[in-house]
Amino acid sequence: MSTDSTPLPSLAELRALARLQGVEPSDADLEAVLGFLGTVLPTLRALEDRTGRDIPPAGMYHPDPEAT
Amino acid sequence: MTIAELAAAIRRGELSPHEAVQAALDRIEREDGAYNSFLAVRGEESLAEADALGAPSGPLHGVPLAVKDVIDVAGTRTTAASKVLADNVATADAIVVARLRRAGAIIVGKLNTHEFAFGASTTSAAFGPARNPWDTERICGGSSGGSGAAVAAGLVPGTLGTDTAGSIRIPAAFCGVTGIRPSTGRVPNRGVVPVSWTYDTVGPLARTAGDCALLLDAIAGPDPDDASTTPVAGEPCLDALQLGVKGLRIGVVSHLVGGEVPLDPGVAAAVETALVVLEDLGAHVERVDAAFLRRAEVVQQLVMLPEAAEAHLPWLRTKLADYGADVRARLLAGLLLPSSAPITGQRARRALAEEARPLFERYDLLAAPEMPLVAPRIGEDPVEVDGHELAYRLSLIPYNSPWSCLGVPTASVPCGFVDGLPVGLALTGRRLGEATVLRAAHAYQQVTDWHERRPPSPA
Repeated sequence: MSTDSTPLPSLAELRALARLQGVEPSDADLEAVLGFLGTVLPTLRALEDRTGRDIPPAGMYHPDPEAT
Repeated sequence: MTIAELAAAIRRGELSPHEAVQAALDRIEREDGAYNSFLAVRGEESLAEADALGAPSGPLHGVPLAVKDVIDVAGTRTTAASKVLADNVATADAIVVARLRRAGAIIVGKLNTHEFAFGASTTSAAFGPARNPWDTERICGGSSGGSGAAVAAGLVPGTLGTDTAGSIRIPAAFCGVTGIRPSTGRVPNRGVVPVSWTYDTVGPLARTAGDCALLLDAIAGPDPDDASTTPVAGEPCLDALQLGVKGLRIGVVSHLVGGEVPLDPGVAAAVETALVVLEDLGAHVERVDAAFLRRAEVVQQLVMLPEAAEAHLPWLRTKLADYGADVRARLLAGLLLPSSAPITGQRARRALAEEARPLFERYDLLAAPEMPLVAPRIGEDPVEVDGHELAYRLSLIPYNSPWSCLGVPTASVPCGFVDGLPVGLALTGRRLGEATVLRAAHAYQQVTDWHERRPPSPA
Protein backbone atom coordinates (compact mmCIF):
# COMPACT_ATOMS: atom_id res chain seq x y z
CA MET A 1 0.00 0.00 0.00
CA SER A 2 1.08 3.58 -0.58
CA THR A 3 2.96 5.36 2.14
CA ASP A 4 2.69 8.83 0.62
CA SER A 5 3.40 11.51 3.14
CA THR A 6 0.07 12.46 4.63
CA PRO A 7 -0.13 15.72 6.57
CA LEU A 8 -0.98 15.14 10.20
CA PRO A 9 -3.06 17.52 12.29
CA SER A 10 -1.43 19.49 15.09
CA LEU A 11 -2.26 18.83 18.74
CA ALA A 12 -4.24 22.08 18.77
CA GLU A 13 -6.29 20.95 15.78
CA LEU A 14 -6.96 17.58 17.39
CA ARG A 15 -7.98 19.30 20.62
CA ALA A 16 -10.41 21.51 18.71
CA LEU A 17 -11.93 18.46 17.00
CA ALA A 18 -12.33 16.71 20.36
CA ARG A 19 -13.94 19.83 21.85
CA LEU A 20 -16.42 19.95 19.00
CA GLN A 21 -17.64 16.62 20.34
CA GLY A 22 -17.60 17.71 23.95
CA VAL A 23 -14.46 15.79 24.94
CA GLU A 24 -11.44 17.34 26.71
CA PRO A 25 -8.39 15.12 26.31
CA SER A 26 -4.96 15.84 27.83
CA ASP A 27 -1.81 16.55 25.81
CA ALA A 28 -0.59 13.02 26.58
CA ASP A 29 -3.86 11.58 25.25
CA LEU A 30 -3.56 13.60 22.05
CA GLU A 31 0.06 12.63 21.51
CA ALA A 32 -0.99 8.98 21.69
CA VAL A 33 -3.72 9.66 19.14
CA LEU A 34 -1.26 11.46 16.87
CA GLY A 35 1.04 8.46 16.91
CA PHE A 36 -1.85 6.25 15.87
CA LEU A 37 -2.97 8.62 13.12
CA GLY A 38 0.55 8.72 11.73
CA THR A 39 0.23 5.00 11.06
CA VAL A 40 -3.37 4.78 9.96
CA LEU A 41 -3.91 7.88 7.81
CA PRO A 42 -1.56 6.83 4.98
CA THR A 43 -3.21 3.41 5.00
CA LEU A 44 -6.64 5.01 4.88
CA ARG A 45 -5.62 7.07 1.84
CA ALA A 46 -4.26 3.99 0.10
CA LEU A 47 -7.44 2.08 0.82
CA GLU A 48 -9.57 4.96 -0.51
CA ASP A 49 -7.52 4.88 -3.72
CA ARG A 50 -7.87 1.17 -4.29
CA THR A 51 -11.51 0.67 -3.25
CA GLY A 52 -13.95 1.56 -6.02
CA ARG A 53 -16.29 4.39 -5.11
CA ASP A 54 -19.09 2.58 -6.89
CA ILE A 55 -19.06 -0.10 -4.19
CA PRO A 56 -21.77 0.67 -1.64
CA PRO A 57 -20.58 0.45 1.95
CA ALA A 58 -21.38 -2.83 3.69
CA GLY A 59 -24.23 -2.81 6.15
CA MET A 60 -23.31 -2.63 9.77
CA TYR A 61 -24.00 -6.28 10.47
CA HIS A 62 -23.53 -8.30 7.28
CA PRO A 63 -20.78 -7.49 4.77
CA ASP A 64 -22.05 -9.67 1.94
CA PRO A 65 -25.38 -8.52 0.45
CA GLU A 66 -26.06 -12.05 -0.79
CA ALA A 67 -25.62 -13.55 2.65
CA THR A 68 -28.56 -13.86 4.97
CA MET B 1 -16.25 -32.90 34.10
CA THR B 2 -17.45 -31.48 30.81
CA ILE B 3 -20.78 -29.73 30.55
CA ALA B 4 -22.26 -32.75 28.79
CA GLU B 5 -21.00 -35.11 31.52
CA LEU B 6 -22.17 -32.85 34.35
CA ALA B 7 -25.60 -32.34 32.81
CA ALA B 8 -25.97 -36.10 32.33
CA ALA B 9 -24.95 -36.78 35.94
CA ILE B 10 -27.55 -34.27 37.17
CA ARG B 11 -30.24 -35.80 34.95
CA ARG B 12 -29.41 -39.24 36.36
CA GLY B 13 -29.76 -37.86 39.88
CA GLU B 14 -26.15 -38.55 40.81
CA LEU B 15 -25.88 -34.99 42.08
CA SER B 16 -28.33 -32.16 42.49
CA PRO B 17 -28.13 -28.72 40.88
CA HIS B 18 -27.46 -27.36 44.38
CA GLU B 19 -24.48 -29.68 44.78
CA ALA B 20 -23.14 -28.85 41.32
CA VAL B 21 -23.37 -25.12 41.99
CA GLN B 22 -21.93 -25.44 45.49
CA ALA B 23 -18.97 -27.39 44.11
CA ALA B 24 -18.27 -24.63 41.57
CA LEU B 25 -18.56 -21.95 44.26
CA ASP B 26 -16.14 -23.91 46.46
CA ARG B 27 -13.60 -24.18 43.62
CA ILE B 28 -13.88 -20.46 42.90
CA GLU B 29 -13.47 -19.62 46.59
CA ARG B 30 -10.50 -21.97 46.95
CA GLU B 31 -8.59 -21.29 43.72
CA ASP B 32 -9.56 -18.05 42.01
CA GLY B 33 -7.31 -15.97 44.21
CA ALA B 34 -4.52 -17.23 41.96
CA TYR B 35 -6.27 -16.31 38.69
CA ASN B 36 -8.54 -13.30 39.34
CA SER B 37 -10.85 -14.65 36.68
CA PHE B 38 -14.06 -13.68 38.53
CA LEU B 39 -15.06 -10.07 39.17
CA ALA B 40 -18.29 -11.05 40.92
CA VAL B 41 -19.53 -14.31 42.40
CA ARG B 42 -23.29 -14.84 42.76
CA GLY B 43 -23.04 -17.19 45.76
CA GLU B 44 -26.37 -17.06 47.57
CA GLU B 45 -28.28 -16.05 44.44
CA SER B 46 -27.01 -18.96 42.38
CA LEU B 47 -27.70 -21.49 45.14
CA ALA B 48 -31.23 -20.13 45.51
CA GLU B 49 -31.72 -20.36 41.74
CA ALA B 50 -30.46 -23.95 41.78
CA ASP B 51 -32.87 -24.82 44.57
CA ALA B 52 -35.74 -23.23 42.64
CA LEU B 53 -35.21 -25.36 39.53
CA GLY B 54 -38.03 -27.77 38.81
CA ALA B 55 -37.76 -31.16 37.17
CA PRO B 56 -35.01 -31.44 34.54
CA SER B 57 -36.20 -29.97 31.26
CA GLY B 58 -33.41 -28.09 29.48
CA PRO B 59 -30.09 -29.50 28.27
CA LEU B 60 -28.12 -27.41 30.79
CA HIS B 61 -30.30 -28.23 33.81
CA GLY B 62 -28.37 -27.34 36.97
CA VAL B 63 -25.04 -26.68 35.19
CA PRO B 64 -23.04 -23.83 36.77
CA LEU B 65 -21.74 -21.37 34.16
CA ALA B 66 -20.29 -17.86 34.20
CA VAL B 67 -20.37 -14.92 31.80
CA LYS B 68 -17.98 -12.14 30.87
CA ASP B 69 -18.61 -8.96 32.80
CA VAL B 70 -19.94 -7.08 29.79
CA ILE B 71 -23.02 -9.33 29.69
CA ASP B 72 -25.94 -8.29 31.89
CA VAL B 73 -27.24 -10.52 34.65
CA ALA B 74 -30.23 -8.92 36.38
CA GLY B 75 -29.42 -7.61 39.85
CA THR B 76 -25.65 -8.05 39.42
CA ARG B 77 -23.08 -5.37 38.55
CA THR B 78 -21.89 -5.13 34.95
CA THR B 79 -18.60 -3.25 35.32
CA ALA B 80 -16.85 -4.13 32.05
CA ALA B 81 -13.76 -4.12 34.31
CA SER B 82 -13.83 -0.32 34.25
CA LYS B 83 -14.10 2.40 36.86
CA VAL B 84 -16.54 4.03 34.45
CA LEU B 85 -19.19 1.39 35.23
CA ALA B 86 -18.05 0.47 38.74
CA ASP B 87 -21.52 0.95 40.22
CA ASN B 88 -23.61 -0.19 37.25
CA VAL B 89 -26.17 -2.80 38.32
CA ALA B 90 -28.02 -4.55 35.47
CA THR B 91 -31.80 -4.33 35.62
CA ALA B 92 -32.48 -7.20 33.22
CA ASP B 93 -30.77 -10.29 31.85
CA ALA B 94 -29.04 -10.12 28.50
CA ILE B 95 -30.87 -12.30 25.97
CA VAL B 96 -28.06 -14.84 26.04
CA VAL B 97 -28.32 -15.11 29.82
CA ALA B 98 -32.09 -15.50 29.61
CA ARG B 99 -31.58 -18.28 27.06
CA LEU B 100 -29.00 -20.05 29.25
CA ARG B 101 -31.42 -19.88 32.16
CA ARG B 102 -34.20 -21.23 29.95
CA ALA B 103 -31.93 -24.19 29.17
CA GLY B 104 -31.55 -24.77 32.92
CA ALA B 105 -28.10 -23.22 33.54
CA ILE B 106 -27.19 -21.38 36.73
CA ILE B 107 -25.03 -18.26 36.37
CA VAL B 108 -22.54 -18.32 39.25
CA GLY B 109 -20.63 -15.16 38.43
CA LYS B 110 -19.18 -12.50 36.17
CA LEU B 111 -15.75 -12.82 34.59
CA ASN B 112 -12.77 -10.53 34.19
CA THR B 113 -12.28 -8.81 30.85
CA HIS B 114 -10.03 -6.29 29.19
CA GLU B 115 -11.57 -2.93 30.06
CA PHE B 116 -14.77 -2.59 28.02
CA ALA B 117 -13.73 -5.68 26.02
CA PHE B 118 -11.48 -3.30 24.07
CA GLY B 119 -8.07 -4.96 24.17
CA ALA B 120 -6.47 -8.39 24.16
CA SER B 121 -4.63 -8.78 27.45
CA THR B 122 -7.25 -8.60 30.28
CA THR B 123 -5.07 -6.45 32.48
CA SER B 124 -7.59 -3.93 33.82
CA ALA B 125 -5.97 -1.20 35.90
CA ALA B 126 -9.12 -0.99 38.01
CA PHE B 127 -9.71 -4.70 38.66
CA GLY B 128 -6.28 -6.29 38.15
CA PRO B 129 -5.07 -8.76 35.54
CA ALA B 130 -6.60 -12.16 34.95
CA ARG B 131 -3.78 -14.71 35.29
CA ASN B 132 -3.20 -17.65 32.99
CA PRO B 133 -3.71 -20.99 34.82
CA TRP B 134 -0.80 -22.48 32.85
CA ASP B 135 1.57 -19.83 34.21
CA THR B 136 0.12 -17.18 36.47
CA GLU B 137 2.83 -14.72 35.47
CA ARG B 138 1.34 -14.67 31.96
CA ILE B 139 -1.74 -13.09 30.45
CA CYS B 140 -4.85 -15.04 29.51
CA GLY B 141 -5.29 -13.12 26.30
CA GLY B 142 -8.45 -11.16 25.85
CA SER B 143 -10.62 -9.52 25.98
CA SER B 144 -12.50 -12.55 27.40
CA GLY B 145 -9.49 -13.49 29.53
CA GLY B 146 -11.48 -14.43 32.62
CA SER B 147 -13.74 -16.62 30.48
CA GLY B 148 -10.73 -18.58 29.23
CA ALA B 149 -9.02 -18.81 32.61
CA ALA B 150 -12.13 -19.98 34.50
CA VAL B 151 -12.63 -22.89 32.09
CA ALA B 152 -8.92 -23.80 31.93
CA ALA B 153 -8.72 -23.86 35.73
CA GLY B 154 -11.86 -26.00 35.94
CA LEU B 155 -13.71 -23.44 38.08
CA VAL B 156 -16.77 -23.76 35.84
CA PRO B 157 -17.22 -26.08 32.86
CA GLY B 158 -18.27 -23.36 30.42
CA THR B 159 -18.43 -19.61 30.00
CA LEU B 160 -19.63 -16.95 27.62
CA GLY B 161 -17.28 -14.39 26.14
CA THR B 162 -17.62 -11.77 23.45
CA ASP B 163 -15.53 -11.33 20.31
CA THR B 164 -15.04 -8.20 18.26
CA ALA B 165 -11.51 -8.72 16.94
CA GLY B 166 -10.41 -12.02 18.48
CA SER B 167 -11.64 -11.75 22.06
CA ILE B 168 -13.00 -15.30 22.36
CA ARG B 169 -10.39 -16.99 20.16
CA ILE B 170 -7.30 -15.45 21.72
CA PRO B 171 -8.02 -16.44 25.34
CA ALA B 172 -9.17 -19.86 24.15
CA ALA B 173 -5.79 -20.35 22.48
CA PHE B 174 -3.70 -18.95 25.34
CA CYS B 175 -5.61 -20.88 28.02
CA GLY B 176 -5.83 -24.20 26.14
CA VAL B 177 -9.61 -24.38 25.86
CA THR B 178 -12.05 -24.48 22.94
CA GLY B 179 -13.89 -21.31 21.95
CA ILE B 180 -15.93 -20.22 18.98
CA ARG B 181 -16.72 -16.79 17.64
CA PRO B 182 -20.08 -17.35 15.90
CA SER B 183 -21.11 -15.57 12.70
CA THR B 184 -22.09 -12.00 13.44
CA GLY B 185 -25.85 -11.97 13.89
CA ARG B 186 -26.21 -15.59 14.93
CA VAL B 187 -26.36 -14.72 18.65
CA PRO B 188 -28.23 -11.70 20.04
CA ASN B 189 -26.17 -8.88 21.54
CA ARG B 190 -29.02 -7.25 23.45
CA GLY B 191 -27.92 -6.66 27.03
CA VAL B 192 -24.22 -6.72 26.18
CA VAL B 193 -21.99 -3.62 26.49
CA PRO B 194 -21.04 -2.83 22.86
CA VAL B 195 -17.60 -2.35 21.36
CA SER B 196 -18.44 -2.22 17.68
CA TRP B 197 -21.86 -3.09 16.26
CA THR B 198 -20.37 -4.28 12.99
CA TYR B 199 -18.22 -6.95 14.63
CA ASP B 200 -19.53 -7.77 18.11
CA THR B 201 -20.72 -11.29 18.82
CA VAL B 202 -21.27 -13.43 21.92
CA GLY B 203 -19.93 -16.99 21.98
CA PRO B 204 -18.97 -19.90 24.22
CA LEU B 205 -15.72 -21.18 25.69
CA ALA B 206 -15.51 -24.69 27.13
CA ARG B 207 -13.24 -27.71 27.27
CA THR B 208 -14.58 -29.40 24.17
CA ALA B 209 -16.12 -28.60 20.84
CA GLY B 210 -19.10 -30.67 21.95
CA ASP B 211 -19.67 -28.41 24.94
CA CYS B 212 -19.33 -25.33 22.74
CA ALA B 213 -22.01 -26.81 20.47
CA LEU B 214 -24.28 -27.35 23.47
CA LEU B 215 -23.85 -23.77 24.65
CA LEU B 216 -24.10 -22.24 21.18
CA ASP B 217 -27.32 -24.11 20.40
CA ALA B 218 -28.74 -22.73 23.64
CA ILE B 219 -27.94 -19.06 22.95
CA ALA B 220 -28.19 -18.79 19.15
CA GLY B 221 -31.16 -17.72 17.10
CA PRO B 222 -33.05 -14.65 15.98
CA ASP B 223 -34.24 -12.06 18.46
CA PRO B 224 -37.03 -9.89 17.08
CA ASP B 225 -35.97 -7.03 19.34
CA ASP B 226 -32.30 -7.11 18.27
CA ALA B 227 -31.65 -5.72 14.79
CA SER B 228 -28.18 -7.23 14.81
CA THR B 229 -29.47 -10.81 14.66
CA THR B 230 -29.95 -12.53 11.34
CA PRO B 231 -33.49 -13.83 10.76
CA VAL B 232 -32.11 -17.23 9.72
CA ALA B 233 -31.64 -19.58 12.66
CA GLY B 234 -28.67 -21.54 11.30
CA GLU B 235 -28.05 -25.27 11.53
CA PRO B 236 -28.00 -26.76 15.05
CA CYS B 237 -24.44 -27.65 15.98
CA LEU B 238 -24.93 -30.59 18.33
CA ASP B 239 -26.69 -32.67 15.68
CA ALA B 240 -23.76 -32.34 13.27
CA LEU B 241 -20.95 -33.26 15.64
CA GLN B 242 -20.70 -36.92 14.67
CA LEU B 243 -20.43 -36.31 10.92
CA GLY B 244 -16.62 -36.28 10.96
CA VAL B 245 -14.34 -34.52 8.49
CA LYS B 246 -14.08 -37.14 5.77
CA GLY B 247 -14.33 -35.37 2.42
CA LEU B 248 -14.25 -31.85 3.86
CA ARG B 249 -12.02 -29.45 1.92
CA ILE B 250 -9.75 -27.43 4.19
CA GLY B 251 -7.73 -24.51 2.84
CA VAL B 252 -4.67 -23.58 4.88
CA VAL B 253 -4.17 -19.81 4.62
CA SER B 254 -0.67 -19.58 3.15
CA HIS B 255 0.36 -16.15 4.36
CA LEU B 256 -0.47 -17.10 7.96
CA VAL B 257 1.74 -20.20 7.95
CA GLY B 258 4.37 -19.32 5.37
CA GLY B 259 6.51 -16.73 7.11
CA GLU B 260 4.95 -13.61 5.54
CA VAL B 261 3.77 -12.46 8.95
CA PRO B 262 5.67 -13.27 12.14
CA LEU B 263 4.93 -16.76 13.51
CA ASP B 264 6.66 -18.68 16.28
CA PRO B 265 8.23 -21.85 14.81
CA GLY B 266 6.90 -23.99 17.67
CA VAL B 267 3.37 -22.74 17.06
CA ALA B 268 3.80 -23.38 13.33
CA ALA B 269 4.93 -26.95 14.00
CA ALA B 270 1.97 -27.68 16.29
CA VAL B 271 -0.47 -26.37 13.69
CA GLU B 272 1.17 -28.36 10.88
CA THR B 273 0.88 -31.53 12.99
CA ALA B 274 -2.80 -30.80 13.62
CA LEU B 275 -3.41 -30.42 9.90
CA VAL B 276 -1.85 -33.83 9.30
CA VAL B 277 -4.28 -35.28 11.85
CA LEU B 278 -7.23 -33.75 9.99
CA GLU B 279 -5.86 -35.12 6.71
CA ASP B 280 -5.49 -38.58 8.28
CA LEU B 281 -9.16 -38.33 9.31
CA GLY B 282 -10.12 -37.92 5.67
CA ALA B 283 -10.14 -34.17 5.04
CA HIS B 284 -8.58 -32.76 1.86
CA VAL B 285 -6.02 -30.26 3.11
CA GLU B 286 -4.15 -27.85 0.83
CA ARG B 287 -2.52 -24.44 0.96
CA VAL B 288 -4.48 -21.53 -0.45
CA ASP B 289 -3.29 -18.07 -1.38
CA ALA B 290 -5.55 -15.56 0.35
CA ALA B 291 -3.16 -12.66 0.76
CA PHE B 292 -5.97 -10.22 -0.07
CA LEU B 293 -7.25 -10.90 3.44
CA ARG B 294 -4.43 -8.75 4.79
CA ARG B 295 -6.53 -5.72 3.86
CA ALA B 296 -8.86 -6.74 6.70
CA GLU B 297 -6.19 -5.66 9.17
CA VAL B 298 -6.80 -1.96 8.54
CA VAL B 299 -10.44 -2.33 7.48
CA GLN B 300 -11.34 -3.65 10.91
CA GLN B 301 -9.66 -0.71 12.66
CA LEU B 302 -11.28 1.92 10.43
CA VAL B 303 -14.75 0.68 11.32
CA MET B 304 -14.26 -0.58 14.86
CA LEU B 305 -12.54 2.47 16.36
CA PRO B 306 -15.16 5.09 15.36
CA GLU B 307 -18.01 2.77 16.36
CA ALA B 308 -16.42 2.22 19.77
CA ALA B 309 -15.87 5.95 20.21
CA GLU B 310 -19.51 6.64 19.39
CA ALA B 311 -20.68 3.94 21.80
CA HIS B 312 -18.60 5.55 24.55
CA LEU B 313 -19.26 9.21 23.72
CA PRO B 314 -21.35 10.08 26.80
CA TRP B 315 -18.67 8.61 29.08
CA LEU B 316 -15.82 10.18 27.09
CA ARG B 317 -17.47 13.53 27.81
CA THR B 318 -17.97 12.97 31.53
CA LYS B 319 -15.61 10.23 32.75
CA LEU B 320 -12.57 10.39 30.47
CA ALA B 321 -10.08 10.14 33.34
CA ASP B 322 -11.72 6.95 34.60
CA TYR B 323 -10.54 4.92 31.59
CA GLY B 324 -7.25 3.05 31.53
CA ALA B 325 -4.66 4.75 29.33
CA ASP B 326 -4.67 2.15 26.53
CA VAL B 327 -8.44 2.06 26.11
CA ARG B 328 -8.70 5.85 26.38
CA ALA B 329 -6.14 6.27 23.60
CA ARG B 330 -7.96 3.87 21.26
CA LEU B 331 -11.33 5.49 21.93
CA LEU B 332 -9.92 8.97 21.29
CA ALA B 333 -8.30 7.73 18.09
CA GLY B 334 -11.72 6.53 16.96
CA LEU B 335 -13.25 9.88 17.89
CA LEU B 336 -10.67 11.83 15.89
CA LEU B 337 -10.35 9.72 12.76
CA PRO B 338 -11.65 11.43 9.62
CA SER B 339 -15.37 10.93 9.13
CA SER B 340 -14.59 9.13 5.87
CA ALA B 341 -12.79 6.33 7.73
CA PRO B 342 -15.75 4.10 8.70
CA ILE B 343 -17.41 4.60 5.28
CA THR B 344 -14.22 3.66 3.46
CA GLY B 345 -13.85 0.76 5.86
CA GLN B 346 -17.37 -0.53 5.20
CA ARG B 347 -16.90 -0.12 1.44
CA ALA B 348 -13.63 -2.07 1.60
CA ARG B 349 -15.29 -4.64 3.81
CA ARG B 350 -17.91 -5.32 1.16
CA ALA B 351 -15.19 -5.62 -1.48
CA LEU B 352 -13.33 -8.03 0.79
CA ALA B 353 -16.45 -10.17 1.26
CA GLU B 354 -16.98 -10.37 -2.50
CA GLU B 355 -13.34 -11.31 -3.04
CA ALA B 356 -13.60 -13.99 -0.34
CA ARG B 357 -16.74 -15.60 -1.75
CA PRO B 358 -14.90 -18.00 -4.13
CA LEU B 359 -12.69 -19.05 -1.24
CA PHE B 360 -15.69 -20.18 0.75
CA GLU B 361 -17.23 -21.84 -2.30
CA ARG B 362 -14.09 -23.88 -2.82
CA TYR B 363 -13.38 -24.77 0.81
CA ASP B 364 -15.60 -25.98 3.64
CA LEU B 365 -13.12 -24.66 6.17
CA LEU B 366 -10.04 -22.45 6.33
CA ALA B 367 -7.26 -23.21 8.79
CA ALA B 368 -4.48 -21.14 10.36
CA PRO B 369 -2.79 -20.65 13.71
CA GLU B 370 -5.13 -18.83 16.08
CA MET B 371 -2.23 -16.78 17.46
CA PRO B 372 1.37 -16.51 16.27
CA LEU B 373 2.79 -16.90 19.77
CA VAL B 374 2.01 -18.39 23.17
CA ALA B 375 0.81 -16.25 26.07
CA PRO B 376 3.21 -13.37 26.82
CA ARG B 377 4.16 -12.39 30.35
CA ILE B 378 1.94 -9.83 32.05
CA GLY B 379 3.22 -6.42 30.95
CA GLU B 380 5.39 -7.86 28.16
CA ASP B 381 4.92 -5.51 25.21
CA PRO B 382 6.45 -5.44 22.65
CA VAL B 383 6.68 -9.17 22.16
CA GLU B 384 9.21 -11.16 20.18
CA VAL B 385 7.90 -13.54 17.54
CA ASP B 386 10.45 -15.59 15.61
CA GLY B 387 13.08 -12.89 16.00
CA HIS B 388 10.74 -10.02 15.16
CA GLU B 389 10.00 -7.49 17.87
CA LEU B 390 6.53 -6.01 17.51
CA ALA B 391 3.67 -4.61 19.54
CA TYR B 392 1.55 -7.42 20.99
CA ARG B 393 -1.56 -5.83 19.44
CA LEU B 394 0.01 -5.88 15.99
CA SER B 395 1.07 -9.52 16.34
CA LEU B 396 -2.51 -10.73 16.64
CA ILE B 397 -4.32 -8.59 14.05
CA PRO B 398 -3.38 -10.57 10.89
CA TYR B 399 -4.65 -13.80 12.49
CA ASN B 400 -7.94 -12.43 13.79
CA SER B 401 -9.23 -9.46 11.79
CA PRO B 402 -10.01 -11.30 8.52
CA TRP B 403 -12.66 -13.49 10.11
CA SER B 404 -14.20 -10.65 12.10
CA CYS B 405 -14.40 -8.52 8.96
CA LEU B 406 -16.10 -11.29 7.01
CA GLY B 407 -18.52 -12.06 9.85
CA VAL B 408 -17.83 -15.78 9.60
CA PRO B 409 -17.58 -18.35 12.41
CA THR B 410 -14.14 -19.26 13.65
CA ALA B 411 -13.01 -21.49 16.51
CA SER B 412 -9.77 -21.95 18.40
CA VAL B 413 -9.04 -25.58 19.18
CA PRO B 414 -6.18 -26.71 21.48
CA CYS B 415 -3.54 -28.38 19.30
CA GLY B 416 -0.31 -28.55 21.27
CA PHE B 417 2.09 -26.81 23.63
CA VAL B 418 5.21 -24.68 23.28
CA ASP B 419 7.34 -24.29 26.41
CA GLY B 420 4.47 -25.66 28.49
CA LEU B 421 1.97 -23.13 27.12
CA PRO B 422 -1.07 -23.96 24.95
CA VAL B 423 -1.36 -23.41 21.21
CA GLY B 424 -4.63 -22.99 19.29
CA LEU B 425 -5.61 -24.06 15.79
CA ALA B 426 -8.09 -21.68 14.11
CA LEU B 427 -10.82 -23.33 12.03
CA THR B 428 -13.01 -20.93 10.07
CA GLY B 429 -16.24 -21.76 8.28
CA ARG B 430 -18.75 -20.24 5.92
CA ARG B 431 -21.22 -17.71 7.21
CA LEU B 432 -23.65 -19.52 9.56
CA GLY B 433 -21.45 -22.61 9.18
CA GLU B 434 -20.79 -23.07 12.89
CA ALA B 435 -21.92 -26.70 12.70
CA THR B 436 -19.15 -27.56 10.23
CA VAL B 437 -16.52 -25.74 12.29
CA LEU B 438 -17.48 -27.56 15.48
CA ARG B 439 -17.90 -30.87 13.69
CA ALA B 440 -14.28 -30.67 12.49
CA ALA B 441 -13.08 -29.57 15.92
CA HIS B 442 -14.98 -32.46 17.51
CA ALA B 443 -13.50 -34.98 15.08
CA TYR B 444 -10.03 -33.66 15.88
CA GLN B 445 -10.69 -33.94 19.61
CA GLN B 446 -11.80 -37.57 19.26
CA VAL B 447 -8.24 -38.54 18.26
CA THR B 448 -6.18 -36.01 20.26
CA ASP B 449 -6.01 -35.14 23.93
CA TRP B 450 -4.72 -31.56 23.95
CA HIS B 451 -8.12 -30.35 25.19
CA GLU B 452 -7.93 -32.79 28.11
CA ARG B 453 -4.64 -31.47 29.49
CA ARG B 454 -4.98 -29.65 32.80
CA PRO B 455 -2.86 -26.81 34.18
CA PRO B 456 -1.08 -27.30 37.50
CA SER B 457 -3.08 -26.70 40.66
CA PRO B 458 -2.50 -23.24 42.15
CA ALA B 459 0.17 -23.11 44.83
